[in-house]
Formats: sequence, structure tokens, C-alpha cells
Amino acid sequence: MTPQAKPIQMGVIGWLASLAEAAMSVPGAYRQNFRRHPRRTIILTVLIVFAIVYPVLNREIFQPWNRHSSFPLPFPEDAVVTFMMILSIMAIGLNIVAGFAGLLDLGYVAFYALGAYTAAFLASPHFGSVSVILFSQVPPGFPGIHLPFWMLVPLGFAVAALFGVLLGAPTLRLRGDYLAIVTLGFGEIVPVVFKNLSAVNFDLGPIHLVNANLTGGNLGINPIDPPRFFGITFGSNSGIAAVYLGMILLVVAIVIARNLERSRMGRAWMAIREDEIAAEMMGVNLVRTKLLAFGLGASFAGVAGVMQASYQGVTTSDFFMFSTSILILIMIILGGIGNIWGVIVGALTIAFLDKTFLPYLGQRLQAIDSSLPNPSQFNFLIFGILLVVMMRFRPEGFLPSRQRAAELRHAPVGQAIGSAAVMGDAALASEEFADTLAAEQVVEVEAEAADAADQAAGPPTDPAADTEPPKDAT
Amino acid sequence: MTVPPLTGDLRTGVLPEDAVIVRARGVTKRFGGLVAVNEVDFDIPRGAIVSLIGPNGAGKTTFFNMITGAYTPTAGEISFDGQPLITKSRSKVRSKKPHEVTALGIGRTFQNIRLFGTMSTLDNVRVGLHVHMRSHWWDSVLRTPGMRVEEQASIDRGMELLELVGLQTRAEVWARNLPYGDQRRLEIARALATKPQLLLLDEPTAGMNSSETAEMTAFIRRLREELKLTVLLIEHDMRVVMGISDRVTVLDYGEVIAEGTPVEVRANPRVIEAYLGRGAAAEA
Amino acid sequence: MDQIAQTIIIGIANGMIFALVALGYTLVYGIIELINFAHGEVFMLGSFMALVLITTVFKITAGTPLALMVGQVLIVIVITMLATATLNVTIERVAYRPLRNAPKLAPLISAIGMSFVLQNVALLIFGPANDGVDRILPNVNVLSVFGITNVTISAEQVFVALVTIPLLLALSWFVTKTRQGKAMRATAQDPDTAGLMGVDVNRTIAITFLIGGALAGAAGVVQILYNNTTVWNLGFRFGLNSFTSAVLGGIGNLQGAVLGAMVLGLINAFSDRYLAANWTNAIVFAVLIGILVFRPTGLLGQQLADRA
Repeated sequence: MTPQAKPIQMGVIGWLASLAEAAMSVPGAYRQNFRRHPRRTIILTVLIVFAIVYPVLNREIFQPWNRHSSFPLPFPEDAVVTFMMILSIMAIGLNIVAGFAGLLDLGYVAFYALGAYTAAFLASPHFGSVSVILFSQVPPGFPGIHLPFWMLVPLGFAVAALFGVLLGAPTLRLRGDYLAIVTLGFGEIVPVVFKNLSAVNFDLGPIHLVNANLTGGNLGINPIDPPRFFGITFGSNSGIAAVYLGMILLVVAIVIARNLERSRMGRAWMAIREDEIAAEMMGVNLVRTKLLAFGLGASFAGVAGVMQASYQGVTTSDFFMFSTSILILIMIILGGIGNIWGVIVGALTIAFLDKTFLPYLGQRLQAIDSSLPNPSQFNFLIFGILLVVMMRFRPEGFLPSRQRAAELRHAPVGQAIGSAAVMGDAALASEEFADTLAAEQVVEVEAEAADAADQAAGPPTDPAADTEPPKDAT
Repeated sequence: MTVPPLTGDLRTGVLPEDAVIVRARGVTKRFGGLVAVNEVDFDIPRGAIVSLIGPNGAGKTTFFNMITGAYTPTAGEISFDGQPLITKSRSKVRSKKPHEVTALGIGRTFQNIRLFGTMSTLDNVRVGLHVHMRSHWWDSVLRTPGMRVEEQASIDRGMELLELVGLQTRAEVWARNLPYGDQRRLEIARALATKPQLLLLDEPTAGMNSSETAEMTAFIRRLREELKLTVLLIEHDMRVVMGISDRVTVLDYGEVIAEGTPVEVRANPRVIEAYLGRGAAAEA
Repeated sequence: MDQIAQTIIIGIANGMIFALVALGYTLVYGIIELINFAHGEVFMLGSFMALVLITTVFKITAGTPLALMVGQVLIVIVITMLATATLNVTIERVAYRPLRNAPKLAPLISAIGMSFVLQNVALLIFGPANDGVDRILPNVNVLSVFGITNVTISAEQVFVALVTIPLLLALSWFVTKTRQGKAMRATAQDPDTAGLMGVDVNRTIAITFLIGGALAGAAGVVQILYNNTTVWNLGFRFGLNSFTSAVLGGIGNLQGAVLGAMVLGLINAFSDRYLAANWTNAIVFAVLIGILVFRPTGLLGQQLADRA
């Protein structure tokens, strides 16, 4: 039936060994893929290499093109690319909540804010009355709390997850649309709290606050310490260094999300998305499973928030508006809710449109006639239309999730599980990505086959009518 | 576990306590003013196939849902394998949650199939295995050896169960793309994955033709023989009920109106009356 | 004491505007279980419509003779109601009807998209700044007729009541007494059965949106004449308050929506007066979350059985 993989060694040593083995199996797996699907493997290799060298190419070649308008399309600047990474991390997190577990969270930005303010409080001169400096390259005695970036990331993760669980605990039994509204409310309250707690008077027991500025109010908090590793600063004027930091965080986010997806928890999330009652009857603890989705999903935004605040060096409550939650939602809907690769493509596309293409278009139009509307001011007109049109014509997005059929089909089951560990995942993962691309080609040709693959929406098909989900193009 | 001979009197209240897997006493469920189930006493003998029949709206599925924890009874007691499923704290009746009941060893299928449509056949079964898996989310994130062993075991066990129901070649197919009969069998495989001692089947042959029905009947019998399962069945098809039941209980308007072997029940005038109306009963 | 009385009066006037908008939410939710996210924007566009009609078409000012002014305001109300009703029906047609059989969250997402579209249309046409009209109605204290001078009821507040109360009565008559109203209630109970019984479900839903839109339009006119100002993102705040009203009263329940709106109007007024205006939105959201978590059926309970 399934070929039994090598016995799995237990314990920390076993874990490390499996990591090493997975890392070593990458060249072999790559050669194998190359033999089996040469065209696809070449495309993927080019894409990955391009992604890795992109920041350098961007600095050396594309940005000069931008300046001289020698290419008809604009290339995103380093700051925008860094933001693309941050937004992609958030999209992956929202995809856990909304895509895997099917819980619509309209206030996702709240967790982004919580992460950002975690960094702002713990790595800035804001609380100037104390001086707490831990492993941070700040002169001793410098006012404020200063923790290093590598500590802020897990803290942002934990704070956001904690609030995710606190919000989720009373609300997760609500029906989908009510839950959406409750999360929307939470998303509005959190920034308001950060905005308004700038002059707090409080006198109770041992706590005396007179006009205390807890959150910086409208001005927000700055300067926030930039991330710093090995003497290199990854702040807003560090150019491509920050892009690479963002990329590393994004890759970690992808690996975590994929590992969760292909696990007991991932299956439980999908089961409750498909049929909550049946899932509970089959032994899935709804409360725990949903809370976990909410908490873990939120934690991605927490980390994204830490990155945002540390990178930009400033955070204010104005960054965290309802429209940001919706922007992230559009990313996952455009890309294909449920599918990590689709979600990332969606995130990159929307971020590019929003932060590079529309401003560029606006600039061009203004140059022609200054009375023309500037599309970058009406970005949400475009995104709103996009939402309506997507829901009507392509609710599953452009790179829909095909569940894990590909994973089970392409490698013998035992091997897929045995060797695709944390790092060696990349080969398998990229193959699946290629599958979704290939699926997209099928979709273009055969719209009907794609309908069978619809899973985000669409009326239930007659079970007897379909035979199998569409195979990939190869 | 000793399986008692199933030839004796299997009616409620007759068997000794350890020969009974589910014991329900005075179970009542009201929805507003409607009494769906009224003061029902019900025993399921260990290892038996018991059928629950009755006209539409007699309260069969409601009773099912109280055993599985989907509904909390208004009054009464239900115990499974000696453990109470219903507890009373002050005046409030509480039921164990469905997932807790499942963990204790009760598996079920649904009247209108409720598979996880866009998950693969194998993954549907693996959701059933979820309740007996122990790895945590951090194990999944790190893909620890323990988690990988457990995942591998779940694949192996899932494939075994698919083989049992004859779906091993369709492991990767989305559940909703399976033909109807296969979906019914997948539901049973998924229920078996929860390692039940008691299997509740809600109209397993609904919508099947006669050869499929015969196949399903044989399969249910096999489950009892090979897996030593106890089966509680809701069924409308009298050939199925009469063919495989060790005992039949008839509900009407939420009350037990008859109980006994298929032969006894078939001859019971109250049952005929409930199904066909008073006139028919008088003629019979 | 006077201050509290004054705050109550302001709260009730606010509440009446919320009520007109809340009814649109509750009617639509009652019938197709959709949170019509774009409804606040319909109200906002209604207020702009009224603004344009008042300032540029009819050029109503404080100097306009009273009889003429009454006539013109009535025409403004009718035109605005017709326009927003048409808009709301169009939205239903374009963004929701095609999704009638889609998963439940699809229409909600579509509604959010629609809401952004309408906001940005207003932004495109009217720009980002607040627009307003000069005060038109006479600056009098109606209570001075009774010799009370320390508490004020303005002409605007009377106007709010004069528009709102007849509309609420008309709606109540429509829903309970007319054939179409009965069709609406039947569809809310069970659309499938209603369809089998010969109710044209699509038509009934369209009429529900028509009524909701018309009420939002009336609320828009009231907003312009009472608060004298509007802005492209006004719909979000009003939509939030009105939706909360509907939920507070028990969604799907018409009397509940009105009662909830009054409570919300008072909460707003008291929060603005005694707490701080910048906390009001957070408080409203906290109320909304509190109700949904602790009493999702609202104060008066849902009128329709929960079909979920």
C-alpha cells in the first residue's frame, strides 16, 4: 500500500537529523523533479532565483530605469518591497483564520496594531522615565525600554495570539456573519484605544496617573529602534537589507503555515470550515480548534506589526484602519482563499497595485492634465469593484486551493511525510506551487474543469456527475 | 469483553448492567411546547444490532442526537459503558459535548450525508482519527518526530479503513466527487476512525437501490462480527430492519410503543396502527 | 437636570435618524440574512443628493417663504427617497442577487466591496472635505411656546420627528396590512415555502431593498437639514450605529430596530456630552460586541425563527 519510510528517530536529535536529512535531500529531489517536469522546474528555478536576486537587481537596474522612465511599468522601491513582505505575512495569517478555518475576521488589523505597539513600547524612548536595556545596542542609561528585534518578534507573536484568544473565546460560537461584525468592532476599538490613551488621568490604589501619555496619541511613537543583527541595521534607510529581513520572515511564515496546514490541526480547521457540526461529531473540539486558528492567525499579524514598527521607526494609530483589514482580505480572495501560494501572489499583486502602480498611474495622469482624478486616491474604488466582481465570477480566486491532492499524488505518501521536514519542504512546496500555476492554465482552457475544483464557493455539484478533481496539466 | 449470546430476551430492563452498553432512563426532550421524545427508557445490549423505527417525526433522530451530545435532554439520564453522559448541577441539565462523546467511543453517520466535501477521501477518515491523536500545534510547526510518526500512522490506519469499505483506490478523490453509495461508505469509514464501541447509523440505506441495500446490510453485519461493534440503526427500509436486527424498538410521538424481536414487533397491532392508521390495524 | 433633559432630546433626535437607517438593515437581514454593509453608504449618498437638491436645484435658504420651503423640502424628500430606493435595488441586483445560492459569507464580502465603491464614488464627486448647507429652518425653541426656556427643542428636531414618525407608521401599516407586506413576512419566515405558495421571492426581496433604500434616503435628507453637514465616509459611522441599533433591538424585528435606535441615539448623546466624542465609536462597538456575545437575539428578540 504505502511504502513505509525509514523509521523515524525520536527526540531532539531525531528532529535535527530529520532537518539535516531533509536539507540534504533537496538536491536529489530537485534532480528528480527536473527529470519529471523539466519545463515547470526551470520556470520555478528562475522564479526563485529571481526573487532572491531581485532586491539587488532592483537597486542596480530597475530603479535607474524608473528614474529615466526607460521601462513602461514602474518597479517597486525597496520600502514598497519590504511592505510587500509584511503584507504577505499578514495575508498568510489571515488565510489561516479565513482560508483554513473559514472564520471571517474583518478586524485583522487590530493584531497588526498590537504587534506594532508591542515593538513601539519595548524598543523606543517612549517610556522615558525608566531605562531598561536588554541585549540592545543602545548606550547604557538611555531612556526608555530597549529590547532587541529577535525578542520583539516572539513577544509580538505572543501578544497578538493572546488577544486573538481573548477576543475569540467569547465570540467564536457566533455565526459567521456575526463573528465578522464582532471582529470588525474589535479592529476599530483597538486603534481608538491607542489613539486616545495619550492623556490618561487615573487614580486608584497604588496607581496614580496624571495626564500620562501611554500611547503617544495622534503622533504615535517614534523613534523605534530598527532591527539590528551582527552590527547591520535593517531600518527604513537600510535599502535592500530590510527587504532581505522581510523575505526571511516571510519564508518562515510560509513554512509555519504550511506545516500547520498539513497536520492534524490543519485537517481539523478544514473540517470545521466544511461542516462544523459534522466535525464536532467526529471528535473535533470546536472551541479549542477555532481558538487555535484565531490565536495563530493573529500572531502572524503581530509579527508583521513588529516588523512594520521596527522597520519604519514610527507607528501611529492611523496606520491601522478598517481599510487595511479589507486590503488583506482582498489579497487572499484575489489569490485564492485557502491556498498559501495564491495568497502570496494576491498579496504581492495588490501591494504592487496599491503602493506602486496606482501612484505611478496617478503621476502620469497628473502630468497630462492636473484636473484628472488621481487613481491612487481612489484605490478602494478599484478594490471594492474587485471584491464585488470576484465574489460574483471567481469566488475561489485566481490560484484556488486544490487541497492537498497534489501532495499525496506526486510523492509516495510515506516519502512526502518522511522527508519533507521543515527545511526540505521547499522542493515539495515549490512543486505544489507549480501545480497551482499549471492548474491555472487548465482553468484558462477548460473553465468547466475548474468548476469541479471550486471549493471556496459554488453550488454543490451532483455527486454522481463528477468523477475526480481535475488532474494537473502535465 | 465478553459478547453475551444475543438469542435471549434483549428488551430494555431485562439484561444485567454489564451486558448493556447504553442505558437511557426517562429521557425527555421538549422543543418549546413540542415533546419530541417523552420519558423513553432504552437499553442497547453490548454487541447487538438494535433498530429504532417509527413514523416520520416520531423522535428517532432526536433520540440519536441526545446520545451523541448534539442535544441536551430536558430530563432523564443516559449512560454509556457505565459512564453518565448527562449530568445535573442544581437544576441545570448538562450533556457531554459531542466531541467528548466521540472520544468515549460513539461514532455516527448522518441521515443526509455530511462529509467534508473538498477534502480528500483519506483526509475525511483522518479527521475521524483526530480525536485519538496527541500532537500539538507546536509539534506541527516544527514537524517533530513524534508528530511525523503519528501522521504516518494516521495515513496507514486511514488506508486500512478505506480498504475495509472498499475505497482504497479513491483515497485522493474529493469526498464530494464520490458516487452516492461510496459517500455513504466513506461516512462509515470516518465514523469507524473514531474507534467506536457503538456505531450509530442514521438511515444508512436511504436512497439506495435494492442491490446496494443488500450490500450495505451485509456490511453492517460484518462490522458487528469482525469489529465486535454494537450498532444502533435508524432505518425506514423494513427489509433491512427485519433482516439484521437483534431487537427492534418502535417510537411513535416520542414514546416507545413496542420492543422485541423483529418477528414480535411486526405482529404488534400498535405498530401496525402507528404505521398504517387505526383502520388498517382493525382490519389486520 | 436641564443638561440631562437636553442630552435626552438630542439623543432621541439622533435616534430617529438611526431608526430610519436601522430599519433598512433589519428588513434586509430579516429577509435574506445579509448584513447589508453598503446600506450606510446609501444613506450617505442620500444626504449628498439632498444637499445638491437643496443648495443648487431649489436653492432653499433661510429666506425662502415658509410655505414654499415646506413644499420644496417635501419634493426633496420624495426625489431623494426615489433615488436611494433605486440605488439600493440596483445594488441588490448587481451585487447580491447573483450570490443568492453562494456560501453565506460571499454576499457579505460583496457588500463590503459595494460599500467601498459607493464611498469612493462620493469621494470622487464631492471630494474629501465636509460639505454642508447653511441653517435653513428658523432658529426657534419650540418649547418656548410652553414657557420653557432652559431646555431647547429646535425646529430641526421637530422636523426630524415630522419626517420620521409618519414614515415609521407607514412602514408598520405596509408590513402588517398589505398583501406585499405579508409576502415579505412570509419570505422572511421561509423563502422556499413562500416561493412554493406563489410569492415571487425575487420581487419581494427587491421591494425590501426598495423600502430600505427609501428610508435611508429620507434619513439622508433629515441628516442634511438637522446636522447641516455630510461627508463621504459618514456612512460608516451611521451604518455602525444603525446596525448596532438593529442588533440591539433584535435583528429582523422592526419595533426592536426603532427601540434600539433610540437607545443608541441616547448612548451617542450621553457619550459625546459626558465622556468624550473620540470614545463614542469605541463605546458603540463595545455595545455591539456585548449584545452579540451575551444576548444575540437583542432586547425584543428576533421576530423570525433562527433559520441558521
